[in-house]
Amino acid sequence: MGGGAMPEGGGRGKKKRRTLDVTVNVVPAIDLLSCCISFLLFTAVWTQISRLQTSPTGSGSPTETQPTKALTVTVTIGERGYVLATSAGAQIEIPLAGRAGDGAAAYDLKTLTDRLKKLKTEFPDQAAITVAADDAVVYADLVHTIDACVGVGLANVSVMGAG
Amino acid sequence: MPIVQPGKRPAKRFAASKVLGGKFAHGSRATNVDLNVVPMVDMMTMLVIFLLQQFSATGEVLYMQKDIKLPDARHGQQIEVAPVVAINSTQVVVSGQKVADVADLEKDPSQIIAPLVEKLRDEKKRWDFIHQNDRDREKDWKGDVNVQADVKVPFRVVRRVMTSAAEAGYGNVNFAVVEEGAAAAAAAAAKAVR
Repeated sequence: MGGGAMPEGGGRGKKKRRTLDVTVNVVPAIDLLSCCISFLLFTAVWTQISRLQTSPTGSGSPTETQPTKALTVTVTIGERGYVLATSAGAQIEIPLAGRAGDGAAAYDLKTLTDRLKKLKTEFPDQAAITVAADDAVVYADLVHTIDACVGVGLANVSVMGAG
Repeated sequence: MPIVQPGKRPAKRFAASKVLGGKFAHGSRATNVDLNVVPMVDMMTMLVIFLLQQFSATGEVLYMQKDIKLPDARHGQQIEVAPVVAINSTQVVVSGQKVADVADLEKDPSQIIAPLVEKLRDEKKRWDFIHQNDRDREKDWKGDVNVQADVKVPFRVVRRVMTSAAEAGYGNVNFAVVEEGAAAAAAAAAKAVR
């Protein structure tokens, strides 16, 4: 299948030229590719599942090694929205963005992310945050909040119940 | 019956005819046909590259269940092998075995799910047995547990699962999520199919 151009004429007249066309046997390549495709199709993982690592507050897990003088940041997820509080005394309320058709709370994740980014800028060494959720908060909202925290660099997330 | 080469078989008088017999002359055309396989090899190469990108060496740690819709997240880490606690709207399941009904949990005021603690302790014992000869066994123990919960499961159920896991010695709770890019791609593919 590989092809090459014939050389220009002008050689000695009756001398027979060898053709430059070469046929490459691609059958072994096809065999190999077929095996690869079969193997990869059998072992393919179509759904990319990842994890958000957290620790229950007070579990004494090994990842909970925080500097003693670190700021304590708490995000409370309630029925009225987020409350972002720090041990420095700041307390910011972020109300709900609205309600979905079925009455489910729509949390203002964008504002929370902006606030957390600002906090991270002020305290760049801060990595720990506590997420406190009401009992009625659904798992999806909890995960989105944790995702926002991890996204701004507050990767050491502890989870606890609010109240 | 002799084996003959396939092809047209004219009557003998046509074959013998100088006018009509010419087009039935045998041996003028080669029966070998070159099949151009280059496009097929190209396509297979593309398929292999695509499938290699999809390949995951960790395999399938969590099995997607019909009654559990995972939330999506952007900043997840690669999932690792650990005991899986699956929570759907009706029951709590550990490694394929039901440990509690969600309706019963709503009635029970206790913060701990006793069968879950027991099951996780069994898992920990198994891990200890497997790693009994490891020198750094205590250091290697991470206490990871994967929680695979439906998007609508309330936090009061998740909290009890977390408390039970901590009670059994599993201090690192990993919430299973679908990577947002993958989720968007799957949604777009489903929309395209519709």
